[in-house]
Amino acid sequence: MSFARPAKCLICSFSRAASVVGPRVPRRQFQLSAARFSDEKPKSPVVKEEPKKALETSKEDQSTAPEPKGEVQIRLRDLPRTLKPEHFREYTEAEKAALSQHYTPEQIAAIEAGEAAIDPEHLATQFSIREDPLAFKYLDDFSTIEPVVDKHVRAPETNSDYTATLKTEEDFIDDFAKFFAELPENFTMSDWVRFAETNRMTIGKEENELNPSSSLVPTLFRPGETLEGPTDKPPKYYDAEEQGAKAQQDEEPSDEMKALLKATGYTMREISALKVKTLVSHRVVNQTRLGKIQSMYILAVAGNGKGLLGIGEGKSEEPSNAQAQAWLRAIRNMQPVPRYEDRTIYGDVKGKKGAVELKLMSRPPGFGLRCQSLIYEMCRAAGIKDLAARVDRSRNHMNTVKAAYEALMSQRIPEDIARARGKKLIDVRKVYYSGRDAQRVGPRFQRPNLA
Amino acid sequence: MSLVNLAHVCSHLNNATKARLGFTSIPNSNLHLKLCLALQNDGFISSVVRGGPQTPPMHPLLGIPVAKDEIHDLEPLTQSNVASRRLWLGLKYWQSQPVLSKISMVSKPTRRIHIDVTALREIVRGEKANFVEGLRSPGESLYLSTDLGILEARECVEKKVGGLVLCRVL
Repeated sequence: MSFARPAKCLICSFSRAASVVGPRVPRRQFQLSAARFSDEKPKSPVVKEEPKKALETSKEDQSTAPEPKGEVQIRLRDLPRTLKPEHFREYTEAEKAALSQHYTPEQIAAIEAGEAAIDPEHLATQFSIREDPLAFKYLDDFSTIEPVVDKHVRAPETNSDYTATLKTEEDFIDDFAKFFAELPENFTMSDWVRFAETNRMTIGKEENELNPSSSLVPTLFRPGETLEGPTDKPPKYYDAEEQGAKAQQDEEPSDEMKALLKATGYTMREISALKVKTLVSHRVVNQTRLGKIQSMYILAVAGNGKGLLGIGEGKSEEPSNAQAQAWLRAIRNMQPVPRYEDRTIYGDVKGKKGAVELKLMSRPPGFGLRCQSLIYEMCRAAGIKDLAARVDRSRNHMNTVKAAYEALMSQRIPEDIARARGKKLIDVRKVYYSGRDAQRVGPRFQRPNLA
Repeated sequence: MSLVNLAHVCSHLNNATKARLGFTSIPNSNLHLKLCLALQNDGFISSVVRGGPQTPPMHPLLGIPVAKDEIHDLEPLTQSNVASRRLWLGLKYWQSQPVLSKISMVSKPTRRIHIDVTALREIVRGEKANFVEGLRSPGESLYLSTDLGILEARECVEKKVGGLVLCRVL
């Protein structure tokens, strides 16, 4: 992650700005090793700092690690956890001389003006390095999307236009004719340049030409970088944030949803990530002295795929209303389901509701969900991956779901059994792998200590 | 070895735990006593005391009757009183649920099931063998009457003995 950089400001080095010295030409990659750039120096785990506002490292460090000319190399672990204004100092004369080799006097003047505009106190107060256990092992403010490391941001497939064709010579002649016909009285060279740059090359969707959808890996160039060198015109990228914000503005949560958000403490994003599914829906009839009143009955399950599961029933004359009721109640009723190794249940459990009697059976890893559709959907919502089920006697859909929920919730956890009996229970699967979770240890088998 | 009486004991224990009783008594016999001691050893019941028709006196500190009570004199077992002896069992509960939630006979009075170590290994691993279902739930136990006394199925596998399958406890 630490690419070699030309001399830059300390804070700027944390965000990835475009290279100033020259183009960064990537070599075509045919192997899995890290990409090398033409301007890259041999890799070393260092963060190169800008000479002027470099941190004053201790004298021992400077004596042990010889400085390259005009650059101070500071390792990540050497960075002070908190910065103070006195950590930032002015350029020395030697550093100014080194800078003048790279920059014109105007550029140096601009650099100095820029540095002077930033208060060192602000730098010190607004800068901090995370120390928590989840902190990253490298420095990055994640302000930019790196095509190689980050998830690819692709243009939507709707940008594609499979009927697009290249313009023929006649089309271009027409374009020229139109340009000259609409030419203003006092035209300048810039009008011509604008025309030459913006004139379309194809006939069809504009997005298809400017920002086509591609399944290929994005290029390694950053905005403004080309093979020829840096350009002013950045290519257009699909802005995921803008699209997301647009989508969020479109839907306003209903009153019921607002109540749910308040009751559960979830955000809209978390709720939309839940797995909610309607399992049972049928018409029910209430016979009154005025006649039959028909309603829709909906039974839905909700889960987060990580051990939470809930079922909810809704009944209304309007099917959509019943569905909304059922979904919201299912989300509200979500409760933790005990899962062994996050994949199956603890032992065999039985459930009974009405005439439905069923048995859920735990199974080894990779077995899959070999059970009927309703129980399959419930397991999928709860995040259970290995399970077998047997539904005896009646197979009524509604009662099957309820009985399965009851069975899943009636699991007895070994820790509870051990406490109840006052005995120590040991999971033999965990005894090998030095007491750790077999799933997490994976293939690295550790020899048990036989001494 | 009367499996009829043992079946009655199993039913009685099921009823007693469902009624959330703290104490209950079962008829005295060597088989019942050995089985109850095995259950106590595995933590299913809290105490086993051989007493008379009345509840034995409680230990002042422990609050339950104990077999070796220095304060109260338990009536010694004699030929004259052996017929009136009963086993007094202390039942355990955890989080409002009985620790011994279900005990059921495997062998029946008319159909005794003897099992060897090979089949017992399968059962302990959770597979069905000799018409006996495997131990598939956490904490499930199977008790056998063997040459070495009444043992749990896993102990039998460890000691490589087979025997008569008595009951399954969950």
